[in-house]
Amino acid sequence: MIPPRRHSHSPGSWLAACALALAAPFAAAAPADTTALFEKEVRPILEEHCFDCHGDGEKKGQVAFDAFGSTAELAKQTDLWMSVLTNVRAGLMPPAKEPRLPAAAQHVLEKWIKTGAFGFDPANPDPGRVTLRRLNRVEYRNTVRDLMGVDFRADAEFPADDAGYGFDNIGDVLSTSPLLLEKYMQAADTIVAQAVPLVSRALPEHTIAADDFAGKHGAPNRDGALVLSLYENADLTHRFHIAQAGTYRVAVPATIFGSFDFDPGRATVTVRIDGKEAWKQELKWKDREALAIASEQKFEPGDYDVRFTVEPLTGLDKKPAIRPGESATHVNVDFGGVKLRGPLEREHWTMTPGYDRFFTRPDPPADRAAWPGYAAEVLRRFATRAFRRPVDDVAVEKLTAIAARAWEAKGTGFEQGVARAMTAVLASPRFLFRVEETQPGAAPGTHPFIDEYALASRLSYFLWSTMPDEELTAHAARGELRANLAAQVRRLLADPRAEQLVSNFAGQWLQTRDVESVSIDARVVQARDAGTEAEGKQRREQFHQINEDIDVATRAGDETRVAELKKELNEMRLKFFGGKRVEFSAELRTAMRGEAEMFFSHLLREDRSALELLDADYTFLNEPLAQHYGIPGVQGREMRLVKLPPDSPRGGVLTMGSTLAVTSNPTRTSPVKRGLFILDNILGTPTPPPPPDVAALDESGKDAAGHELSFREALAQHREKPLCASCHNRMDPLGLAFENFNAMGLWREQERGQPIPSVAGQLISGERFDGVRALKHILVTERRDDFYRCLTTKMLTYALGRGPEPCDVPAIDAIVERLQRENGRLTAIVIGIIESAPFQKRRAEL
Amino acid sequence: MNSLPHSTTRRRFLRGLGACLALPSLETLLPRASAAAAPGLATTAGGVPLRMAFVYFPNGAIHEHFWPSGQGADFTFKRTLEPLEKVKASVQVLSGLEHRNAEPGPDGAGDHARANGAFLTGVRVKKTAGADIHAGVSIDQLAAQHIGQLTRFPSLELSADAVRKSGSCDSGYSCAYEYNLAWRSPTTPLAGEPNPRLVFERLFGGGSHGERAGNFAQRQQQQRSILDFVIDDARALQRNLTHRDKDKLDEYLTNVREIEQRIARAEQFGTTPDPAADTPAGIPADYQAHIRLMYEMLALAFETDSTRVATFLLAHDGSNRPFPELTIAEGHHSLSHHRNDPAMIEKVALIDQFYAAQFAWFLEKLAAAKDADGTSVLHNSMIVYGCGNSDGNRHTHHNLPIVLAGNGGGTITPGQFRTLAPAPMCNLFLTMLDQMRVPPVERFGDSTGRLAV
Repeated sequence: MIPPRRHSHSPGSWLAACALALAAPFAAAAPADTTALFEKEVRPILEEHCFDCHGDGEKKGQVAFDAFGSTAELAKQTDLWMSVLTNVRAGLMPPAKEPRLPAAAQHVLEKWIKTGAFGFDPANPDPGRVTLRRLNRVEYRNTVRDLMGVDFRADAEFPADDAGYGFDNIGDVLSTSPLLLEKYMQAADTIVAQAVPLVSRALPEHTIAADDFAGKHGAPNRDGALVLSLYENADLTHRFHIAQAGTYRVAVPATIFGSFDFDPGRATVTVRIDGKEAWKQELKWKDREALAIASEQKFEPGDYDVRFTVEPLTGLDKKPAIRPGESATHVNVDFGGVKLRGPLEREHWTMTPGYDRFFTRPDPPADRAAWPGYAAEVLRRFATRAFRRPVDDVAVEKLTAIAARAWEAKGTGFEQGVARAMTAVLASPRFLFRVEETQPGAAPGTHPFIDEYALASRLSYFLWSTMPDEELTAHAARGELRANLAAQVRRLLADPRAEQLVSNFAGQWLQTRDVESVSIDARVVQARDAGTEAEGKQRREQFHQINEDIDVATRAGDETRVAELKKELNEMRLKFFGGKRVEFSAELRTAMRGEAEMFFSHLLREDRSALELLDADYTFLNEPLAQHYGIPGVQGREMRLVKLPPDSPRGGVLTMGSTLAVTSNPTRTSPVKRGLFILDNILGTPTPPPPPDVAALDESGKDAAGHELSFREALAQHREKPLCASCHNRMDPLGLAFENFNAMGLWREQERGQPIPSVAGQLISGERFDGVRALKHILVTERRDDFYRCLTTKMLTYALGRGPEPCDVPAIDAIVERLQRENGRLTAIVIGIIESAPFQKRRAEL
Repeated sequence: MNSLPHSTTRRRFLRGLGACLALPSLETLLPRASAAAAPGLATTAGGVPLRMAFVYFPNGAIHEHFWPSGQGADFTFKRTLEPLEKVKASVQVLSGLEHRNAEPGPDGAGDHARANGAFLTGVRVKKTAGADIHAGVSIDQLAAQHIGQLTRFPSLELSADAVRKSGSCDSGYSCAYEYNLAWRSPTTPLAGEPNPRLVFERLFGGGSHGERAGNFAQRQQQQRSILDFVIDDARALQRNLTHRDKDKLDEYLTNVREIEQRIARAEQFGTTPDPAADTPAGIPADYQAHIRLMYEMLALAFETDSTRVATFLLAHDGSNRPFPELTIAEGHHSLSHHRNDPAMIEKVALIDQFYAAQFAWFLEKLAAAKDADGTSVLHNSMIVYGCGNSDGNRHTHHNLPIVLAGNGGGTITPGQFRTLAPAPMCNLFLTMLDQMRVPPVERFGDSTGRLAV
């Protein structure tokens, strides 16, 4: 049935936006043509195939095609036509038991819906309208990293972004609150303070690691220092180069470390530079003391030796004997290498690291009168990068004024004033929002292209979740981006930053982001499979009781009792778990997320078919995950591509641990969630939410006789109710096909100690399968185009930052056709989206 | 009649037209900060601050354990509220309140989103997954519009729900409804801050005790210098925008202006208080510790009179958090659909009691905090503890589980269990507004009158 229209706002549905499209100036084609064509070609099809249930007085699912008074009125029912299109294409209508719509008839119907009902004009396609997008947390962090060179943990500092249509980059949904604004202002301060150097030059410093010295024995400790005993000779040398004549300070970070008890060891420690003694001292026991070893001297350009020696003054025979029960005493010097600072003469100081990221000259002008001019230059460059498009003169003037006001305060340097102005840039809406402008010169009545700066940003935020890099911006500035679009897209996709598309798009589409936090109780899940839930529960209560007793005894200060109880606890652990914790470990969860994301990334980089997302004979595993899946021969923690055994049920995202876990409840699988996941994210035909006054599915109930129902029984009972059946007949068989995988994605043969019943089933569109492998096969053959369309729609939503609208149908169809021609190449979707009207244009304003 | 509902309606009307007319600035929904504070505003008869807070617990309650036995002043807590025994004289339990706008009506499934969304707004939230969220101004924000200028912060929004799920939320409703209690405008939810460190630094400044006031002042000084630029920039930008783009920027501008007002206000208030407490480290792994830290932040904010209005979302309605600390492996939401299975009811009752125990801890803390008039901070507060879902199993929204704590400075008579004739929750809200002595508001949400407290 066609879903009743009151469900039209269901997630993933695009019906909600139709009203907008209707209001759009270009959406309506000439009504006379539309209605005439409808009467001539479309009505006969509907009468023959649909009116049995949806006309002539029948109104199944609250849908009747002849209930709108006039054909013109009927043609305006955008929601209805979107449902028709979706349901006919997905094979949901006519129902499986009725004759299919002949291909020719379906073609006629689809074409009329697109051109007639949706008003598609191939010469001037409606690109829809994207709402001004605020940077979300991920984009903010990435943009700040690229712009400022610092990593600001926006994910920890900012409140979570709201999501819409399954993604957290939707312009309409990304709101700002006073709290967030306040945080933006604070973040601007923090970031600028961390990133912008306040002095142009710094004393050059060069470190020679202890490890680089010749004559060493053994490796340095964690701090990079060589640990030298005062009882042993040491002679360490290193040759260094001085390029610039001047005064240098040679410092040796060294510390005496002695044992807690006194040790009589002594030694002479000498530092020689080019054979000349620079520092010498007799060292003896201290438990800890840093040595101030430093020498300043003039150097001419050339190579020099630095030498560090330890000459013992005490023989090992003087070392006190070890007393029983105590450890040996010692005294060592930790040698941390050499720090060479200089030339100390200011004229030779070098540029502060990061200085040239923000400033264009090596030093600010000596003449303060020239500061505003130079500040304007620096701030124009910075704001242009931060705003991702050229900045106007007025804004530059105002920014310069902020710097100038800061300079009024005593002791405020040039850089400090400029830094203050930069803070303002980072708090500006032009930084925080993605402002898009259009290309001038569009013919009246046509939808204009967005300008090349906006296009550069759309590309970089789509593929990299960050601001455009220099090359993209340069192309936009020259107006050559569109002319070189294909090459630029290839370059962006080949860049490591394209991993952001994987973690942010795939991470949300496949919900792999959630696997690391989803609540799954491994003990209960396993006990459930084994049929030992009751024992498990009892055991947990025992543990809880003992832990409580320990708390009580601890508070009472009864140490004997505490020790006894702890012993008892350990014995119980040993008895029940063999001393091993049963858990769905963070390591395993991370590997699962990695598996899904590496898989997606692999398809993108190797330009493979999107169909492999559903059915593949390989995946990415490390040893723990391979063990979890029962796949032999994978050793080590590193994730790598693994060819699956021929009979493996794995391969493709549907049987990956992450998908199986995020569609489960904390203690058990949820066939309903798993079924809905496939309908929503693979087939693109989510069921509407349950109608009002229907209780949630009773998945753990009892029948009238008090006998506890299995899921399958409970679900079957649910499907007997007609109200529930229409949707659960679609979800349940899909979800039940995965019942051999528990909530952690572990293969299982039984649940509650009973064998898993047959997982065979049937799609609502009629195809039958005997298990997961056959289901996957159906999805990549008979339902292939549904998947293409679904994936394209999801990625388009992500790329545009708005929900799909009816006006997107032609663009999506074009990409699906392209996928059919190009063997489903994943990059064909990416490129197809980038070339489409919704991505390239902006809806014209009235 | 207050001007607020009028402009809200107008806004909705314009949006309904889908017209690209300029929408009225959100200014109309903002505090009239310049207006001289009316005498007695948010102040008790004893002349000390009167505070209000709203605490939300998720997924309804097990009624047989929640409602006390007895009536009036002669009542006995049952197990859920039993932890409140020590502060019994300071709380009243109210039965009979309801949120009819959380019921399915024409909107179908999504009771959790509606319950959460209606709790403080009293309105039927618009069913949408994204593009056009629409609720109503929440009661705390309405109060803050009137009394926000009295304190350094107009209001404080807290949450102990740090993890958010990917994808969409309850049955086609935007996640915004489920994760926010406070709504500054019908389209602007105010997210709660879950990180106690960030709450503390926001209230009192960063650094350690002794340096904070200085840091706080310095930060404000720096902010002020960039505000003018940012406001001009937003205005320049706004001229070229249309439709919802303009709304988005409107929202930004409103928030910036609020910061501007806050800075001006901070100067008017003089030195920032600097509690002799360590700055919290962050979100503790232990749930109870997290909740208590957030309560502590709330208590500090009230004690220092940094704000008089607060909301605290313990967890969003529909939260499926398991409670390993109570040896409960199943998620709270899954359990709340208990189908009258005694074992499941038992677990939900334990969770209900867990939340009540944390609330009791908070009230005891407020009761121990001496206020300037010699009574306690609790005495001079009105704190609602409740849920927009009544029976989690059946998703009902009448006879909501509600506790009202505090004496409202002496105008409220706690220490009773009142079984009221069915009445909108919004009636209680209006009464609370009256207690704050704001100019009388005729209606709020689906209110039908006042509730005597």
